[in-house]
Parts: sequence; structure tokens; C-alpha cells
Amino acid sequence: MGHTLASDSTLYPSNMKQLIPFLLLLLLFGCGDEIKNSDADVDVEPGTDTTTLQSQPTPAPQAAESDHANLLGYWVGYFEKADDNYETDVFVDVGYYWNRANKINISIDRIQDSLVEGHSVVAGNDRPFSGTVKKLEHDTYQFRVKEPGDDRYDGRFVFTIYPTSTVRHEFEMSGTWEAYKDINIRHRKYTLKKREFSYDPDIMLQRAKAYVDWNRSVTETEVYEIDDNEFEEWVVERFSSATNLIYDLNASNRLLTKEEVENLKRGDLIIIRNTIYARHGYSFKNRPLRVFFDAQDWYIPVHADIRADFTEIEKENIKLLLQYEQNAAEYYDSFGRG
Amino acid sequence: MRLHPRHIAKGLFYLALGYFSWLMLRITLQYVPIRYDVAFLFVKQEAITHTHYKVAFFSHVYTSIFVLLMGMTQFSGTLRRRFPAMHRSLGKGYVLLILFVASPSGLVMALYANGGLSSQISFSLQAVLWFAFTLLALRYAQARDWTRHREFMLRSYALTLSAISLRLFKWIIVSTVAWPPMDTYRLVAWLGWGVNLALVEGWLWWRKR
Repeated sequence: MGHTLASDSTLYPSNMKQLIPFLLLLLLFGCGDEIKNSDADVDVEPGTDTTTLQSQPTPAPQAAESDHANLLGYWVGYFEKADDNYETDVFVDVGYYWNRANKINISIDRIQDSLVEGHSVVAGNDRPFSGTVKKLEHDTYQFRVKEPGDDRYDGRFVFTIYPTSTVRHEFEMSGTWEAYKDINIRHRKYTLKKREFSYDPDIMLQRAKAYVDWNRSVTETEVYEIDDNEFEEWVVERFSSATNLIYDLNASNRLLTKEEVENLKRGDLIIIRNTIYARHGYSFKNRPLRVFFDAQDWYIPVHADIRADFTEIEKENIKLLLQYEQNAAEYYDSFGRG
Repeated sequence: MRLHPRHIAKGLFYLALGYFSWLMLRITLQYVPIRYDVAFLFVKQEAITHTHYKVAFFSHVYTSIFVLLMGMTQFSGTLRRRFPAMHRSLGKGYVLLILFVASPSGLVMALYANGGLSSQISFSLQAVLWFAFTLLALRYAQARDWTRHREFMLRSYALTLSAISLRLFKWIIVSTVAWPPMDTYRLVAWLGWGVNLALVEGWLWWRKR
């Protein structure tokens, strides 16, 4: 065996010399992202941070006068575009799209004579409003309320609350909203139902809508053989998504173990952690997450800040999930091992 | 000068080895200065509370890169004949680092391996075999049995290279079939050194035939 190597002696050094420029080239290219994704980000919205100063829980709306009890409270439903302009819609691969509708919670907090105070929670924004209410005929009330105007997305609401069926004493809220500023979608409309919110750690996700993170995708080229020796190339975009495991794991009602978490992919980790926030009625700023949770029937956006609301179990689980999420973001698809 | 395909293959092999060693160096440098909250350790928060794990982990990480680099030059016939003293001293360094640091620390880490019993067995077995092959290779060198010395050094270096192959297999699995992280890890815990050793055994068998 020594023979093979000994016979190389004349060829080897020159061979190695030829390799030097290539090696140098590789070293230069080698400063990229092979061992770790340096741009890996784990999204923790400020209103859900368990490590910063805690917020005070906001009190639920209370009836000052009992005769307005059916008006006070959370009115929940979709805050939709008022026009048919499809240009602002978000179209993602394979029929998944978002028509820019967000779940809104219009909370009427106080009614004193003809004066109204309340707030609305939508898309991670919790904004106060005040204005007037006027009683029309047949238990129908018309509201005109305004947001302060110091936020880019402030505007004015006009809505009525009216009985849907006189038999069951059910009410509905319907109206419009117009932004003060020239923002992307200036006019909104909505038809909302009265909803009660209570935190339930046992609530699970329903198979309502798939999670597709359209901000994060990989483009792949797939080659198909369409005929003998005839090939066609397709450019496929793959988006970060979640698996069915998100319907089984509950991170609010018991401590998760390392073994349950370590085999989860990034999309699952993200959804399982954010479901904790959704149970507390957190209003998401992150669009793909918002679209996903808005589609859950039980989900109501109630707060833009839930830092004071977590249970000890949830804090522990969030910490664990974030560790693995960070690791998945940095190392799952890189050479470096995490 | 005629370029034989074998030499091209060898050149490419060294090129790849050089590139992956560079990646390994950068992986090592993630742990300089000593930090407990980066990279691999981020998912070893339980184990890292033990002092013996800390000692094992950092001695393993800091020495393995030298083991990898020292071993790389040893199979070149040119270097062996022209600079026999260098071959001997690099070889001694390689053997000492494995026997006294890299393999024992690897065994300690194997007991805490991610992925449960299967990966714990795999990494423990690897640590023991690595120690045995390296020790035997040293013994045969002392006995001047160069054929066996070479065979066992090839086996030893096959296991040394698992540092690279394990990560490479992981990367291939994840970028093709995108398995969940821990299933992937359990598989590459075995493939990482198993494939390398099988290749070496196959080659040795083919040479002897």
C-alpha cells in the first residue's frame, strides 16, 4: 500500500500548488452563512415579552347604567375594505390570499347620557375613541366616535347597533370607518357580533386556515419530465408553514417537555408559542400570524399588551419554545449543528 | 505533466477537506470566548449546568479542530518521506489529543446526547472505537508494523471526519426531505461515523483482495 503514495512524489507538490488559488477563493466565499443563518430572527412582539416590565391588566368594560348593558362590551368581527380594490390584497401561492380584512374588537366601555367612550383593538393597535350616541326608532342606536388622531392609523367610526331578531334579543353592530390620513386602505366596513372574552387555557386550535408565512420563502427549481427526454422547469416557492402537531400540543395548560419540543419544526414552534398569546386575546402585529389566528372562531383581539397576563406554566413554556425556535432559525438548515 | 484522474480526485478531496475544516474552525470560534448561551449549547441548557459537562464540552470543542487539522497531513506519502520528523510529531499530537482529551470528553458528552438512547449509544460507541483505533494505530507504529498502523489510522481518521460528515449528512437531509430536526439528528448520529467507517473498511477489503 505504501507503494501508491510513494509514486506520487513528483506529481503531488505541483498539484497542491494549483489548488492554492482555489483554496483561497473558497476561503473568501466561506465567510457566508454556511454554518449559521446570521439573519435568523425570532419574532417576539413587545406586547408579549415576558422579560420586560409588566403592564397593568386592563379592566373589562362595565355598565354604568343598566339600561345600556346590551350596548356595552366587545363587538367582534372582520374589519374589511370598503371598496373592491384588489390591488392591495396579498396573493400567496396556491390560492392562499389575504383580502386585507382584520378581526376587530370595538369595545364600548361607557355610556353617559349621549356621550360614549370606548376603544378598538385591531392589528396590534389598541386605540381609544369617544363620541356620541343617539337613539333612533326600534332599539336602534347610532354612534359617531373619533379616535384621538395622534396615530397614523386613527380615524372616525360611524355605526349603528340594532336588534337582529326581535324574538331572541340579539343585537348586531354595523358601520364604516374612515382614516384621517392618506393610508393604504382609508375606508373600512364591518358587521360585528357581541362577544364575551374569558381566558381559557384549555382551548385548542381548530383546523380553520393553514399557516403560511409569506414573508419567508425559499425559491426552488423543480424539473419535470413531460415527455421522453423533454424536461420542463418550474420555479416553486415554498413558504414556512406548520404541521398537524399544532393541533395537539397545548402550551398553556401544562409544562411541555424538552422531548416534545426538540423535534418540532420552526413553523410549529412559532404557532404553538403564539397560540398562548392568542388565548389571552393578544392582537397580532405580524401579518401571517394575524391572518392565521383571525380565522380561529374563538379568537378575539382584546389587548395589544398581555405582559401581565401569563401564567407561570406559560412563561416556562415560552422560554423553552423560544430556545428551540432560535436554534431552528439559526441552525436547522445550515452546516453548523444546533 | 500528465494529470492522472487519481490525482485530480485526491486534489478535490483535499480541497473539500480544506473547505470543511474552515467551516469547522468557524463553528469552533463561535465558542470563543467561553459562552454558555450560543449555538449548540442553546439546546443543552440542562446538561451545561454540570461542571463535568462544561469541562468535557469545551475541551472537546477546542481540541477537535487541531485533531482534524493534524490528521489531514498524515496520509501524504510526500510529507512522510521528506519530513519524517514532522509526521512523527504531528502524529504524536494527534494521538495524545484523542486519547487524553477528545475521545474521553466525547464519551462524557455522548451520555447527554440529544435524541435519547439511540444517539447516546451511537456517540458512546464512536468515542470508544475512536480511542481503540487510535491506540492500536500507535501500538502498531511502535511495533513498526506500518501496514496495520496505516489501517488503524485510516479507521481513526474516518471517525475524526465524522465531525464534518455528520453535519454534511444533516445538511443534505434537511435540504432535500426536510425531516424534523430531532429525527434528522438521530439518523446522522449513526450515519456520521458509520458511513465513513464502512467506506474505509470497504476500501481496505478491496485493497487486500
